[in-house]
Amino acid sequence: MVELKDVSFRYGSENAETQHQNSLRNVNLRIPTGEFILLTGPSGCGKTTILRLINGLIPQFYPGEIQGEILIDGQSVSNRELYDTARLVGTVFQNPRSQFYNVDTTGELAFGCENKGMQAEEIYRRIDGTVQHLHIEALMDRNIFRLSDGEKQKIACASVSVAEPDIILLDEPSANLDYEATLALRDVILRWKEQGKTILAAEHRIAYLWDLIDRAVILRDGQIVRELRGAEKDGLSIADLAAMGLRSTVQEAPAKLDLPAFQEGDEAIELYDFHFSYRGTGREIIRIDSLTLASGEITAIVGANGIGKTSFLNCLCGLEKRCKGMLRYKGKTYGRKARQRLCFMVMQDTGNQLFTESVLDEVLISLPKGTESAREKAVEILRQLDLDDLLDRHPQSLSGGQKQRLAIACAIASGREILLLDEPTSGLDYGHMMQTAELLRQVQRMGITVLVVTHDSELIRACCGRMLALTAPT
Amino acid sequence: MTYSSEAAQEKRRSFLDPRTKLALVIVLALFVLGGLGGEMMEPIKRVLSVLPFLMLLAERQWKRFFRGLLMLGVGYGLLFVMPYLHGVLNFLALMCGGILTRFVVTIVMGEYLIATTTVSEFISAMERLHMPQAITIPMSVMFRLFPTIVEEWRAIRRAMGMRGIRLGGNRAGEVLEYQMVPMMTSSVRIGEELSASALTRGLGSPVRRTNICRIGFRVQDGILLLLCAATFASWLLELCGVKLW
Repeated sequence: MVELKDVSFRYGSENAETQHQNSLRNVNLRIPTGEFILLTGPSGCGKTTILRLINGLIPQFYPGEIQGEILIDGQSVSNRELYDTARLVGTVFQNPRSQFYNVDTTGELAFGCENKGMQAEEIYRRIDGTVQHLHIEALMDRNIFRLSDGEKQKIACASVSVAEPDIILLDEPSANLDYEATLALRDVILRWKEQGKTILAAEHRIAYLWDLIDRAVILRDGQIVRELRGAEKDGLSIADLAAMGLRSTVQEAPAKLDLPAFQEGDEAIELYDFHFSYRGTGREIIRIDSLTLASGEITAIVGANGIGKTSFLNCLCGLEKRCKGMLRYKGKTYGRKARQRLCFMVMQDTGNQLFTESVLDEVLISLPKGTESAREKAVEILRQLDLDDLLDRHPQSLSGGQKQRLAIACAIASGREILLLDEPTSGLDYGHMMQTAELLRQVQRMGITVLVVTHDSELIRACCGRMLALTAPT
Repeated sequence: MTYSSEAAQEKRRSFLDPRTKLALVIVLALFVLGGLGGEMMEPIKRVLSVLPFLMLLAERQWKRFFRGLLMLGVGYGLLFVMPYLHGVLNFLALMCGGILTRFVVTIVMGEYLIATTTVSEFISAMERLHMPQAITIPMSVMFRLFPTIVEEWRAIRRAMGMRGIRLGGNRAGEVLEYQMVPMMTSSVRIGEELSASALTRGLGSPVRRTNICRIGFRVQDGILLLLCAATFASWLLELCGVKLW
């Protein structure tokens, strides 16, 4: 049994803004053993904070001011050492790139048990059991750096399984996963549920586990605003959910949406001979002899994890030297170098593409050399994207959504005609997803062609007029 | 057939024990890279310089083997043509050749250590050497931090190219500064997330850690460790003025 008794919490950060975000106010929650609970609500509502209080990362790793009590089986967590809590609680985190200690998968599965000082024979037995249970034979004895995000998340789940904790916490585990991979994750959770584990999941994408949960706890501004169970939970309409700032509970495969890639009357962007394989593999992951896209539209690019959607964007942008494809647009042919000046990509990790010390400077360096009255122009673009009150902020201190907006401002400033986005809505709540959709429509109205790689059916419904489904070359 | 982690661990067991690899890295760093010892040590150094390449062959690391060999070849090539060059070129050839011939062997050995040792094997070896956790844990994090940083670095370089910020392009002077900004932010974030994840899985517990990997000394380890010991011994003898040959 996990209990939160009148818990309030503030992060011990100097920045008043982040202090208010993610804090908790008077939260009461009782989770009987074996229950599966979903914590959901808009970004910054405090759902991750609740998980951190239970696994002990708060206050041991993230310091702050706690009031109230957090109890596991009647014993307080906050004063306990992290390695003691680790025996009871296992956590799967959001970012598949930064939750592994080992470089090889087998070592990673054993890691938790090794830390407990368990005998090697017992660890072997448990690993073999988990591997069989989760059908991950093909992932064993591999280098973790060579796995796709979906595969990494499976390894993260398996390493929790091997440690056999009674309580399992999931912190937005599906944020980087495609439709198929979320179904696989759902299977894993189902098995944990059968084993009688107590499960808490913090998620925006609620569709894939909505029918598995016993209770949905909805948070807003650090408070529990509603608890749903049984018939009340099943009877909610999509409009009710949207009003609470929640995503759809209907699981929908993006590939099932019926949108053309190109239709009569569209102006064409033609691609020829796009071939690409990773160095040393020899296996082509992209093999496009010819393809037509619609100019001036918002096109969704869908396909399973690891099919090469991101590589396709890289090739299109001219970032892959070994991809010799050509692009025809408005009667002109663009080679690799020319495409670098035609396309702008908003990457998944937007922070990696912002380099300067202020928002204004970021847009200034994007304007073509020798632009007249550059400052006025830059401010005007920032004003259109509602960033003009942040001119002097450091780009790295912005929120995820603001960084995305800024990157798009840079794209507009650069005058490039094709905007590519890589999973712009992964880990976004309903409100922010709709904002991104509106932003994309705004960019489209400026005459810019938008291509967006996504697994988010709701985003596609909200703004995309065309769709391209990438499949593996046969 | 069902998967057996025990059999898999046995199968992928490295040719050498991590402790032997570590000893070789230290000996190479001191004598070949650091240039410890006088004339009498020269033949021993030549033997030592061949070792990392033999190890790479033993583990079938062809790519690393040929890359190392190529770098070494370039180094000796530069030293060879150096006398025929004049002015700045002569100096450059001497400098690059000198650096390559000195550094490559030890770097190859270090690469071999990193490439063929899992984190689990490394921790296990350090524990058997009775190293305290305060040293073992930061060192083991290196194994995965370097590839992570390389990945981030590539992503950032890519992003810069896409934004049109490159040498010879817009604001060429600030290229280096621009690379560092996102690099530092993302390194700090990744470091923090890695620590949080490791801590929730019981790292740092005072309980004695176990390990599933198979390590331990075998014949080849014995031979190489003897060689390391002999290197030190002959160096000491040389210091005392004893001439062996």
